Amino acid sequence: MAIHVRNRIPAEIPTASMADIAFLLIIFFMLTSVYSSNFGLQYGLPKNEPLTEVQPLESIHVHILGPGQYTVDRRPATLPQIAGYIDMKLKQNPKKPVIVQTDPDVPYYATIEVLDVCKQLRVESVSIPTSSEIAMWNNFAGGIGGVTQ
Amino acid sequence: MKKLRVQRSRAYIPTASMADIAFLLIIFFMLTTSFSPVKMSVDLAEAANREEVDKDAAIVAIGPSGEMEISNGINPGNRINSLDELDIFLQEVVMQDPTKQFIIKADREIRYDVFNAVYEKLRNNNCRRIALLTEAKQAPAGQ
Repeated sequence: MAIHVRNRIPAEIPTASMADIAFLLIIFFMLTSVYSSNFGLQYGLPKNEPLTEVQPLESIHVHILGPGQYTVDRRPATLPQIAGYIDMKLKQNPKKPVIVQTDPDVPYYATIEVLDVCKQLRVESVSIPTSSEIAMWNNFAGGIGGVTQ
Repeated sequence: MKKLRVQRSRAYIPTASMADIAFLLIIFFMLTTSFSPVKMSVDLAEAANREEVDKDAAIVAIGPSGEMEISNGINPGNRINSLDELDIFLQEVVMQDPTKQFIIKADREIRYDVFNAVYEKLRNNNCRRIALLTEAKQAPAGQ
């Protein structure tokens, strides 16, 4: 009697669809996740106490009137001109503070542009005055930057 | 004459390792991605000189219409409707950790007075360390 050799099918777990499942999971998580941006401009704030430390007369006053519209110590300037001015002043006095004042209706990114320049020039002290400080300074020597060095 | 049968093997693309690759990708993204507890989507301002902020910093997010969401950096964010709620939140966080960093995650197009209102609250509540969240500045076209 002839021996029948059976054509045996090897036992295996079908894994072809696993890749589809895994890629679907990747796409799902990519679409539903909110990623956090972990980088920014860092500042240390002073205590909220009566103004004794900040001396407007000795600081550089940058006033943001609108996107691309600035004055530095009351003189109109472009952003590169502000950078050059601050750089020049810092060479004379590396500890010179910079006050960044922004008008209320100006978009926020205009302030960030100026703060970015200050960061780039490694300004030690950058001050963003509160509305009460601005009001106080407006009654003092004709406002911030009323008298410049 | 007897015909010889050539045993043909079926042509196929091996896909067994695809699953391994895909799961490795999932694990890689899970380990390297950090998720923000604040779900509000904002268009951040761009800056070139950025520093890494604390991983567990508290977040105050300000949306394009001035809507706000807050998180202590651990718990999921909550929408708030007034600056008084922000005041209470800041007091609680500062009481627990006076050295806590606060991130302002503001939309680039909001009016400055909206940002300033939040900034003043931070100062009034003795928050010492703040960070203004930005995204990397894109190089100008052609460079």
